[in-house]
Amino acid sequence: MTANAEPRQHPSEDDPRIMLHGQMGQYEQVPPYPPRTEREAEFYTLGDGEMFLNMGPQHPSTHGVLRVVLKISGEKVVDLDPVLGYLHRGVEKLCENSDYHHIISQIDPLEYVSSLFMEWAPVMSVEKLMDVQVPRRAEYIRVLTGELLRVASHALFQGWMALDLGGLTPILYSFIERDEIVEALAALTGQRMLFNYFRVGGVNGDLNHEFLSRVGDWMSRALVQHEANIGLLNENEIFVRRMRGIGRVDRDMALRMGVTGPNIRAAGVPFDVRRSHPYSVYPELEFNVPVRGANGGGDSLDRYLLRLDEVRESIRIIDQCLHEMPDGPVMARLPRLMRPRPGRAWAAVESPRGLFGTYVISDGTDQPFRFRIHDPSFVHLQLVGMLMKDNLIADTMAVMASLDPVMGGIDK
Amino acid sequence: MDRTLKTRLESKLADRLAGPIRQRHDGTEIRIRPADMVEVMRVLHDDADLDFVILADLCGVDTGETMQVVYHLWSSKTPDWLRIVAEGMPREDPRIATLTGLWPGAEWMEREAYDMFGIIFEGNRDLRRIYMPPDYASFPLRKDFYLADDAARSPGGGVRHMEQTSPPTQATPGSIRRTVRP
Repeated sequence: MTANAEPRQHPSEDDPRIMLHGQMGQYEQVPPYPPRTEREAEFYTLGDGEMFLNMGPQHPSTHGVLRVVLKISGEKVVDLDPVLGYLHRGVEKLCENSDYHHIISQIDPLEYVSSLFMEWAPVMSVEKLMDVQVPRRAEYIRVLTGELLRVASHALFQGWMALDLGGLTPILYSFIERDEIVEALAALTGQRMLFNYFRVGGVNGDLNHEFLSRVGDWMSRALVQHEANIGLLNENEIFVRRMRGIGRVDRDMALRMGVTGPNIRAAGVPFDVRRSHPYSVYPELEFNVPVRGANGGGDSLDRYLLRLDEVRESIRIIDQCLHEMPDGPVMARLPRLMRPRPGRAWAAVESPRGLFGTYVISDGTDQPFRFRIHDPSFVHLQLVGMLMKDNLIADTMAVMASLDPVMGGIDK
Repeated sequence: MDRTLKTRLESKLADRLAGPIRQRHDGTEIRIRPADMVEVMRVLHDDADLDFVILADLCGVDTGETMQVVYHLWSSKTPDWLRIVAEGMPREDPRIATLTGLWPGAEWMEREAYDMFGIIFEGNRDLRRIYMPPDYASFPLRKDFYLADDAARSPGGGVRHMEQTSPPTQATPGSIRRTVRP
C-alpha cells in the first residue's frame, strides 16, 4: 500500500494550512470604518488584555433586538456600547403623515407590554390642542385600564427579571397574572396586546359585563396571588444575593441622567408624574408613591422590589376606580375630521417604565406637523454603560433587566 | 397655567428671552437664541427659585424654514411643564451647544436629533447616528424627506427616493412641503 503523498504544486485556497498561515494574527477591524467620534475612538481602542464581545442582536434576554458590544478584560466588563436601530420603524415620521385618529394605532405597538400608556400621552396632547373636556367616566376608565395594565406589565417584568438571571419558573406564574388581566382587557377592547382603545376625547367603548366580571374575579384574589408570586423570588437566596449591590444608582446620577419612573424612585427621588404633575383623575385617588434607596441610592434589588410595591398601589387604585366609577358618556363630542388650531402641546404620562411624553405641533391641517415621542426606556438604556463598569459579564443582563427597557419603545 | 412662573422667568432671564412667554393649559413656553442655550439652562437648573432638575425631553423640530431644538423641563416649584424653544438655526448648518454638561443623559437624545435632523450639538462627544446605519446620508425627519408615497411628486422622484434630500424651495408645486409659523 502506498500512501498518496504527492505534494501540492500550487497553494490552493482550499488548503486549510495555507489560509491559516496567511491570516495568522490578522483580524478584521472593528468597526470596519474609522471612528467618527471621540467616544467611539476611545471605545474601539483595545487596552492590554482586553477584547470585544458581541451580545445580541438575537440574544434571548435583550428584551427585543438590541446589540451590545462589550469590551471585556477577563470576566470583567470594561465598557460597553449599545447599538440601536434594529427595530427602528420611523414611527414619528409615520405619525406626521397620518391623521390624528390614525396616530393612536401607529403609536400603539411602540411598547407592546404597556400599550395603553402609549395611547394615553398622544391622546392627551391632542386634547390639549383641541381644548376638549374629557368626560369623567372616560377618565376613570382610562385610569382603571391603565392601572390594570401596569400590574400586568410589572408582573411580566418580574418574570423577565428572573428569566434573565436563569430562572425559568417565575415567568410562568407571571403569565398567569398577566393573562387574566389581558383577557379582561380583551373583553373590553377586542384585542389582547395592542388595544387601540383610547380616543381623542374619551375611550372607544363603555365597560361591559364580561370585563367587569373578569376584573372583579381577579380583584378578589389579586393581592393574595401577588404575594404568592413574589414569595417565589423574594425569598430565594440566590436571586437576592445576585441582585443586591449591583447597578447602584444614586440620586444625583439619576437626576443628571434623566431617569424617570420606578428607576428614579428606587434611587430615592419621589418623582411620579401621577403626583408630581397630576393628570386625568389621579388627584382624586388615594395612593402612595413608594420610594426606595433614599440613602445612598438603590441597586438592582431595590428597583425590583419597588415595582412590587407599585403593584400593591395599583391594586388600590383599581379598587377605588371600581367603587367610584361615575355614570355618564365615555366620549366627548368632537368632529370626525380633527383640525386643531395651530399650536403646540406636550403631555406626559407615568407609564410602567417612566415618563412617556409626546410633543405635538399642529399647523391647522388634519395631520400633525411634528410628532415627538419621548420614551423612558431610551434614556434608561444609557445607564447600562455607566453601571456595568468593573462588573461581571453575567451581571450585564441582571442590571439591564432591572432597568426594564423595552426595545420597541427605544427604537421607535 | 402658573402666572408666578412667568414673572420669575421674566426677572431671571430678562434679556435672554427671544420672544414673549406663552402659557397655555399646563405649559409655559419660552423662546431663546441657540447661542444662549447653555447659560439659560444653567440658570433654570441651578437657581433655587426655579430648580428645574428633570429634563423630560429634548427634540429637534424642522419648521420648514429654520431648525429648532425644543427642551421640556420639570420642577417641583411650579405645576407647569416648561418648554424651551431654541429657535432660528439655519437649515443648511444647524448648530447648537450640547446639554450634556448639565444633563449627561441628554447625550442619546442629542444623537437622535442629529440622526433625524442633522443638528450638530457642539461638544457632544458621541455624536454619531443612533438609529440609522452609519453610512446613511440623509436626515429622515426633515420636512424635505419624502415618504415613498410622496416620493413620486418630489424633485428626486424615482431616483433613490428614500434617501433624497433637497431644499424645500425646489419642491414641485402641490407636493407635501409644509411649513409652520416658527
